Amino acid sequence: MPDAVTAEAVDIELAEQFVTKEQQRDVGTLGMWAWLVTELLLFAGLFLCALILRIQFPADVTLATTHLKFWIGATNTAVLICSSLTMSGAIVLSRLGWRRGMLGCMLATACLGTLFLVLKGYEYYQDYDENMMPFLARPYALGAHPSTRLFLDIYYVTTGLHGVHLITGVSILLVLTWQASRPRFLQMHQNRIEIYGLYWHFIDLIWIIVFPVLYVLNR
Amino acid sequence: MSPLDSLYRDPDTARITLDRPADYLHAEHTLRSWFFTTDHKRIALLYLASITGFFVLGAIAAGLVRLSLVVPNGVIFTNDTYNKLFTMHGVIMVWFFLIPSIPATFGNFLIPLMIGAKDLAFPRLNLLSWYVFMTGALFTMVVLIVGGVDTGWTFYAPFSTTYSNFYVIPALIGVIIVGFSSILTGLNFIVTIHKMRCPGMTWFRMPIFVWTLYATSLIFLLGTPVITLALILLVMERAFHIGVFDPKLGGDPVLFEHLFWFYSHPAVYIMVLPGMGVVTELVAAFSQKRVFGYRFVAYASIGLASITFFVWGHHMFVNGQSQLASTVFSFLSFAVAVPSAVKVYNWTATIHKGAIRLDTPMLYAMGYIGLFVLGGLTGLFLATLAVDAHLHDTYFVVAHFHYIMVGGTMLAFLGGLHYWWPKFTGRMYPEAWGRVGALLIFIGFNVTFFPQFILGYLGMPRRYHVYPPEFQLLNVLSSAGSTILALGYFFPMIYLVWSLWFGKRAPANPWQAKGLEWTTSSPPPAHNFLAIPRVDFEPYDYPIKAPERA
Repeated sequence: MPDAVTAEAVDIELAEQFVTKEQQRDVGTLGMWAWLVTELLLFAGLFLCALILRIQFPADVTLATTHLKFWIGATNTAVLICSSLTMSGAIVLSRLGWRRGMLGCMLATACLGTLFLVLKGYEYYQDYDENMMPFLARPYALGAHPSTRLFLDIYYVTTGLHGVHLITGVSILLVLTWQASRPRFLQMHQNRIEIYGLYWHFIDLIWIIVFPVLYVLNR
Repeated sequence: MSPLDSLYRDPDTARITLDRPADYLHAEHTLRSWFFTTDHKRIALLYLASITGFFVLGAIAAGLVRLSLVVPNGVIFTNDTYNKLFTMHGVIMVWFFLIPSIPATFGNFLIPLMIGAKDLAFPRLNLLSWYVFMTGALFTMVVLIVGGVDTGWTFYAPFSTTYSNFYVIPALIGVIIVGFSSILTGLNFIVTIHKMRCPGMTWFRMPIFVWTLYATSLIFLLGTPVITLALILLVMERAFHIGVFDPKLGGDPVLFEHLFWFYSHPAVYIMVLPGMGVVTELVAAFSQKRVFGYRFVAYASIGLASITFFVWGHHMFVNGQSQLASTVFSFLSFAVAVPSAVKVYNWTATIHKGAIRLDTPMLYAMGYIGLFVLGGLTGLFLATLAVDAHLHDTYFVVAHFHYIMVGGTMLAFLGGLHYWWPKFTGRMYPEAWGRVGALLIFIGFNVTFFPQFILGYLGMPRRYHVYPPEFQLLNVLSSAGSTILALGYFFPMIYLVWSLWFGKRAPANPWQAKGLEWTTSSPPPAHNFLAIPRVDFEPYDYPIKAPERA
């Protein structure tokens, strides 16, 4: 029974605004979903811009896309999908009440997230090296094709914003892991793992949209 | 059914709250108990005090703008000063007053009371949202002190990213931060309305005010992140030359307008929808009648919140948008009139044959309905493609949106403030002064803004302070009206503060109104209700046949 811990053994104190503990649990989950909806809208504008740009300037956008580091992006996609797998593992184990396994999975998730950031940083460095940063006061490789600039600028803003979310995510995850290593955590706050899991999967999901929209289409 | 249960259905009008437990205002007295409170009622009052401060600042800026326009040659202020004045007026009034006005004060205070909850779902997040708001406010104050900003509240690129010589980045950061406070408030309301309703409080037993705030919160959640993104991109472009909007850097200026208005048109409904909710409450209470077509009014709120996301293009009819897009946006903009009209007709039908009392809140509500109709209908003129080519960026537009935002939201805010003032503070305001104030504001408002319709029709562009001398008469009339309006605003500011100490003690339900918020004492105890209410009756449960006037 995976729900054994969640439904029965919650001996968390009832906060004063609630009537039942069930209500208290549901509220956290719904709150996170509502937050994720706003996050989705935050990125949606950028995706839409990139897609419309492709329709308007297919040749230039294709040119810009071929200069992106496809294999680093693809590796990073795989890394993030794996991190979602380990995060799901942490959630399942937290439901079963197996604390050590859960902590291991959470640390693995944080490591994969960090690996993603390292690879992403290396990719930025390569972009810099190939003069692919049109906003810097130095020569720009595709200067002859002006509409590549907007596409690349959107690429940097989108991946940068995603990176900020990932840095936040890893930081929160490390704090959560530290909290969860204390003995009575699972009895009290198991739902924090579930709620955090939603956020982590969401970051992953955003990248799964970023990758095709920026790297793959028109290639 | 316990005696308490029947009380929720028929609020005891005579019950004076003497032997009550300490109410939320008197539960604790320290400064700490206010600034670190998690009580939604106290947070609502924190918001009320802060937005009132901003309203005064924004109103002073407006007064100076009107002062400058008394003479046609623009000698009173320099061009830069004038630009900064209307920008500060717009930025403060839109982002720091109108958007948080009704949701963050009345919404915070009343949603838990109206649905029978002890507090919002996330009380600490609620407090955080106020601190976030004040942090954004701090940035704006700094901008104000060090020298202002001259982009207009719309921050259009590339002027804002490349050419403006003033403090655009801190102003943008202030607005971005305030956006997060909106998101937190909206998130809190949505979760609260979904999960915190008391037993028996079904969706269709909720007051319309709660429905409209649900719709508003949807806009907070879906719209605000888009403006956050647009403003972040502006900061990026201005600070790091990541060109997204400036053609010189490879960007597209119309793209900014798309992103900006995708939020900022729905933002109009962030301002208007809660006002509609307030007016629905007022109309029902002061006509002692059920809301006519309750379900339609509820659906119309959600309808407005949905359609409003698909009309942003009507701000760009003459800004290089394709003809096809303009036609579609024009059609969709007309569609907004349908749910708006549903509301207006339903209010009218609710008033019809009611036992009407023309107390101050009802005066504001009636003023709201009239001015909202005028503002709404002129909106249809502007949604017409050919007419907009003539009226775009003229004073006609200025008059139109002031009819919606001041004639609409501001009057609803004041009406609601008077209506719920006894519940907030436990004191009654002086009725006679209230009526005089309401009348002055109505007259002052119309004298200020009606001439602007004519000015705009004659071709006076907005945001100019040098204009042809033949427009002077109407401009002087408008400025004269603004002094009446300002005088009108002084009335409630003075007598409401006065009433805190000298007002008559309020009974639990001074208006013989229905609704759970009137069943608890005035002011309510710290956890709102002595016992969790149970609801087995419809909203606005007034007697079917209107009672004779007492």
